[in-house]
Amino acid sequence: MAYERYHISFASAPNRAPPVPKFMIVRADNCVNCGKCERACIYGVHKRKEDDPRKMQDPINHLCKNCFMCIQECPQGSLSMVPGPEYNALGRGIWTSLRISTIWSESETGRIPVLGAGYRGMFAGPGFDGMWTDMSEIVRPTRDGIHGREYISTSVDIGSKPPWLEFSKEGEPVTSMPQLIELQIPTVMDTTRLRASTDEVLLGFARAARRLDSLLLAAPGSLPEDAEAELNSHFVPVYPEGTDIRSILLPKGVRMAELPFTPAWKEDAKRFKSMYPNAVLAFRMRATKGLEKTLLALVRGNVDVVHLVYDEDGMEFGPSARRHEKDSLKAAHMALVGKSVRDQITLIAGGGIAAAEHVPKTIICGADVVSLEKALLIALECRDCVTCSLGSCPIHLKGASAEWVEARVTNLVGAWRDQLLEVLGAMGLREVRRLRGELGRAIFHEDVERESFSDIEGGASRG
Amino acid sequence: MGDRKRRCASVLPQQAPTPSEHLRFVNRFTVTRADTCISCGLCASLCPYGVHKRVEGHAKILPPDDRKCIGPSCEVNYFFCVANCPTNSLSIRKSETYASLGDPRWTPEMILATWAMAETGKPLPLDHQSNTGASGGGFDKLHFKLPEPRKFEPDEMSTAIELNRRGSGPEICIPIPIYGGGMSFGSVSVHTMLARAKAAKAWDTFTCTGEGGYPAALVPYKDHVITQIATGLFGVREETIQRSRIVEFKYAQGAKPGLGGHLLHDKNTPEVARMREAVPYTSLFSPFPFHSVYSVEDHKKHLDWVHSINPSSLLAVKVSTPNDVEMVSVGSYYAGAHIVHLDGGYGGTGAAPEIAKKNIAMPIEYAIPKVHRFLVKEGIREQVTLLASGGLRTAMDVAKSIALGADGAVIGTSDLVALSCVRCGNCESGRGCPRGIATTDSTLDKIMDSEWGARRISNLYGAWRLQWCDLLSRLGMTEISELRGRTDLLRHGDNPAREVGR
Repeated sequence: MAYERYHISFASAPNRAPPVPKFMIVRADNCVNCGKCERACIYGVHKRKEDDPRKMQDPINHLCKNCFMCIQECPQGSLSMVPGPEYNALGRGIWTSLRISTIWSESETGRIPVLGAGYRGMFAGPGFDGMWTDMSEIVRPTRDGIHGREYISTSVDIGSKPPWLEFSKEGEPVTSMPQLIELQIPTVMDTTRLRASTDEVLLGFARAARRLDSLLLAAPGSLPEDAEAELNSHFVPVYPEGTDIRSILLPKGVRMAELPFTPAWKEDAKRFKSMYPNAVLAFRMRATKGLEKTLLALVRGNVDVVHLVYDEDGMEFGPSARRHEKDSLKAAHMALVGKSVRDQITLIAGGGIAAAEHVPKTIICGADVVSLEKALLIALECRDCVTCSLGSCPIHLKGASAEWVEARVTNLVGAWRDQLLEVLGAMGLREVRRLRGELGRAIFHEDVERESFSDIEGGASRG
Repeated sequence: MGDRKRRCASVLPQQAPTPSEHLRFVNRFTVTRADTCISCGLCASLCPYGVHKRVEGHAKILPPDDRKCIGPSCEVNYFFCVANCPTNSLSIRKSETYASLGDPRWTPEMILATWAMAETGKPLPLDHQSNTGASGGGFDKLHFKLPEPRKFEPDEMSTAIELNRRGSGPEICIPIPIYGGGMSFGSVSVHTMLARAKAAKAWDTFTCTGEGGYPAALVPYKDHVITQIATGLFGVREETIQRSRIVEFKYAQGAKPGLGGHLLHDKNTPEVARMREAVPYTSLFSPFPFHSVYSVEDHKKHLDWVHSINPSSLLAVKVSTPNDVEMVSVGSYYAGAHIVHLDGGYGGTGAAPEIAKKNIAMPIEYAIPKVHRFLVKEGIREQVTLLASGGLRTAMDVAKSIALGADGAVIGTSDLVALSCVRCGNCESGRGCPRGIATTDSTLDKIMDSEWGARRISNLYGAWRLQWCDLLSRLGMTEISELRGRTDLLRHGDNPAREVGR
């Protein structure tokens, strides 16, 4: 078989819903229809009415790019600009309107967002916003600079890796090799917590997962039949709590399954492995305070994969002292490293992945694989309304075709992978596996505040 | 110290008020005069701020000048125009447009204050909230413990810095602690480059070509233009190196560390392509990093190469702010650099991936003290000129950088804001900047006139210098070099001016 380099090809998947303008141009009554705004605007916001060219049309707000030229040139002072109210109301928590609209455009075009002018946001923030990734002035991943990005590997493995190999006297390897699933991207798709979906949407996700050589995590029976059939080995059934292990019938071709983490996990694992010795078993666990200890116990019990689940803002579950994914994963990773067992377990982390940079940051903090959840729905132009009812869905999710869903998700994952390559390239790394747990190649807000400002009155204490 | 003053004693430019009527379109407040106005002129005689003006001989009063209005809180005053108007024709409200301008780093008031300084050359009071942004960290959380103002004579104070502290080679001293950062031809128009070069000449400081070659229009200003050699080596020739007093190696840029320059295809017009010796309308991504540099020895080879082409130029090395930025700086010094220029993560750019701006490499505020202390420990601090850039927006940001340990700063975005940039951030593609600054479109680049622009930048520098003099006098200093490393004068916390809600 000829070698083929992994590549994600994009195709434009235009928005279906009306755009949500960031800015609104308001034209006051004293406009004299002189048309200076039409000449001043290079984006085509202002046009004359087609049926009555004596008058100006209402401004086409979503084309406005905030340059103020029309306002500046208006001789009557008739124009003003206000931030788009609908845009400002988008999203909640870490899912800000900027992140949501960025995901929309990434899903539409598959392109990396590139803009002029420097950074415009807050200095730092909670969670992943308090973290910067390192770069290197002279070390590069390949000798080809920016044109060598295709040589950077983003492949990851799910399953345990034996710490060493043993050979017989004859030099033949005798270590039994565990099941290992190699993915070409460090992201999998998890549909189990999505607020809404339709058969077409799930079919689109399934096709995207297959095309991207990723995995689709879904409750058994939740996928339409054709989706499951098309997915085949890219399907990971996620069994809900209370499933009788003995009743599990893995669909044909499935390489991996997720079981809920319960106090009876040891017996469950044993039973499952005796039934399906060739399948990778993952325990799905809600991340809570003290998960480090549980993870160490799981490693001792020869569990290969754990899927840590955070809430949609990337926080742990539990009544109090909930940590952000960043700190929680760091603690888990360091605990495993401390016992020299880190490579015996694969950590999948999901929840709170709202932007491209969250993928490398989650991996730096210690995850091997990142699972995408809410971002998949946002890719379909979801407005993140509080209540979700398909009947009143503002984007008519019901009308989304599988082809369109597949294209949107492929674009999003592709754009995020390209941005992962940017981060890896800047760090001089040539594979994402090396990024896992590279805490020394990240800069944490609390650390640099202490290092740089501790001698300043009111600055972080040296502590 | 006295020597330096003498060496730098050039005649500093005076403020030259620059008409900028078209930039009145956005302000904090909007004053509206209804048609019922009878042009009696009472408001003009009452308002002490000059919002209303009546020209003798004119039938009608002039439209209100919103910029001077202090807003509805004026109602407590006896001269409040709205209450006094006999025909109730006046109203004052918060401007809707104002809320669409700027962002947490460049707040709308900071943009307007920079425009005002560029227009008038008058400094902003040091405790004014427009001196800091609202990004909630870094410079926006560092404040000088400001003593009371004292009378000062700007001519008696020195804001000059030395650019060559190695003890050999040409001595270059600039009268203000800043020079202009690299902006390539292609990312900005030749008029923008010229405006910056003219302002640099007026202030006897520098501006930089950026990585897109050396347009012939800049040659008359060659003593004030730094030639940049970046990884793409666009338009770098022997003669461009030979004509410069300073040559800058750009290893990385703060806004896109580790990525190399981006010039998207639309902006690579035939003139730009000719300058860069590239194919028109192709996207130009500079490689990263220098393909000939794998180590500090290779880096030295680079500097030696420039030195052999132009033995009388100073060597500046522009690097980003990775974790090991202090090692990079020391390495640059030992390789022969005169100027180590740190470009922090929040710096400006003509085009960069959004992911890189926020997430890759640390903000400059952290890098300066790190490098300063390391150079002190290494015993070479007095031989290096350490310049900071990347998210320095105001004179106070520059002063804070110096207090954190830099010798001076490199300025980019503020120059553009002086040229009427509104920070809309659409410089990267299409026809480029609709305001005629960051564009090479043959129509758009005529919007901005380089003489006008030069005066505005020059005014801004003048206003900044007065701010630095004010600060130095309050702190009992006469030279800006005394401020270096004085972190004891800083306080970390929220902005007192903002809390009071001025």
